[in-house]
Amino acid sequence: MPHQCTNCGRTFADGSKEMLSGCPDCSGTKFQFRPDGFDSSEAGPDDEPATGDAAPVDGSVTPESSEPADRGDAVSRTVGSAAATVRDLVGGSAAPDATDARPPSGTAAGASGSGADARGDDTGEDDIIIAESEPVDDEDLAQADARSQTADPDEVPGDGFSPATDTGSGDSDPRDDPGATTGESGATTDDAAGESGAAGATADPPAVTGDAGERSVTEEPDTERADRPDLAELREELNEQFESIRVVEPGQYELNLMELYDREEYIIALQEDGRYSIQVPETWREADV
Amino acid sequence: MGLLTDLKDSISRAASTLFSGEDPKRIGIYGPPNAGKTTLANRIARDWTGDAVGPESHIPHETRRARRKENVEIERDGKKVTIDIVDTPGVTTKVDYTEFLEHDMEKDDAVRRSREATEGVAEAMHWLREDVDGVIYVLDSTEDPFTQVNTMLIGIIESQDLPVLILANKIDLEESSVQRIRNAFPQHETTPLSALEGDNMDELYDKIAEYFG
Repeated sequence: MPHQCTNCGRTFADGSKEMLSGCPDCSGTKFQFRPDGFDSSEAGPDDEPATGDAAPVDGSVTPESSEPADRGDAVSRTVGSAAATVRDLVGGSAAPDATDARPPSGTAAGASGSGADARGDDTGEDDIIIAESEPVDDEDLAQADARSQTADPDEVPGDGFSPATDTGSGDSDPRDDPGATTGESGATTDDAAGESGAAGATADPPAVTGDAGERSVTEEPDTERADRPDLAELREELNEQFESIRVVEPGQYELNLMELYDREEYIIALQEDGRYSIQVPETWREADV
Repeated sequence: MGLLTDLKDSISRAASTLFSGEDPKRIGIYGPPNAGKTTLANRIARDWTGDAVGPESHIPHETRRARRKENVEIERDGKKVTIDIVDTPGVTTKVDYTEFLEHDMEKDDAVRRSREATEGVAEAMHWLREDVDGVIYVLDSTEDPFTQVNTMLIGIIESQDLPVLILANKIDLEESSVQRIRNAFPQHETTPLSALEGDNMDELYDKIAEYFG
């Protein structure tokens, strides 16, 4: 039960669209996200204040919002680089912030929300996800509404970090991101992405979601090879440079070979505008509920 | 650490002995663009099956999809080694369509080639991660082998404990320097050859039987 209404406790399946217009039972607009396998006894106490923090309308930035900065380097880096991909790919055809009034692309919101299109629209069950770099046309009113309300600039710390606070569900406290990025599984990432997607953050290439997932999945092999300093250094250097494929302009690409090698999903086709299709690994789909 | 590495080596040796005679090993032909990978793949395939693998070209990134030739039976000293050859797109960190414009290509075609080449690199890297049992690494011996791409790919291959043959191709050209490649990768044996002219192919087949048999 990935989503739960904080008011009446009703739960919603991942990707559910019901909650977009508020809880059908109590009209509550706050939901908390509980990925599968989430230890509720441990997380419960933490979650209470967190969901309060995400109260969407007042848009206040609470101390919780700065939490990402305290997380492990790996996580920040993962989120940061995932966000960089959004910037790169979206920026391939338009200025990063030009598509809508969302917070700067270099945010956790951008990263986790990026999978929304693919998961929401394609139900995540297909082998192939077509990435969209622009808002999809069939976005419904609730989504559009939620998305536009996210845009309050004063909600955004502005330094590249923003918890996925979306009006539609207000459940996106920063804690979601560790769940997505600390290497539990690709499925968790999917859940997080779907959740943010339900919250209405749309319109970034889902490649990033894949990225976050893939990076988390491949963290362990990385550390296993820590006895190869040269390779590790090289990898680090490259990771800092850019994500797996950077579209400089149509026909000009920069490739991060380590990233491409580490990816679990497989890029099938690039589009002219920087979109690309990926094949999602079997394990993601199996774990996906 | 050394003990562990030794143990791992002996296990993988035992495993390879165990599995020989079963499914053919899938050998990826890797290397930077224009090193002669397809020429080599075609040469091997023609020598042992009579068919070619794919078109060759002097324009880089002619191979933009991995191509496979299955069940290539190579006979050495009365012993048969069966391998699947995977000819992969040239691996690079930058693909730029303007490079193709120099080869009298229209811009649209050049952009498309560039995009396909990029997909090809992604595919090649993906294959390396999951689908090859050994690697033939082809280098143009007239070019400087000390590149980021070569260092990284060889590093990845080593980290996977894949058997690798390094080839110094194009020895028929005057500027060729096999020693430069030997110096770059002293931890591996380098085999000089010209895939185009068919020079020293016998030694290559010996090595293939030895490394991948």
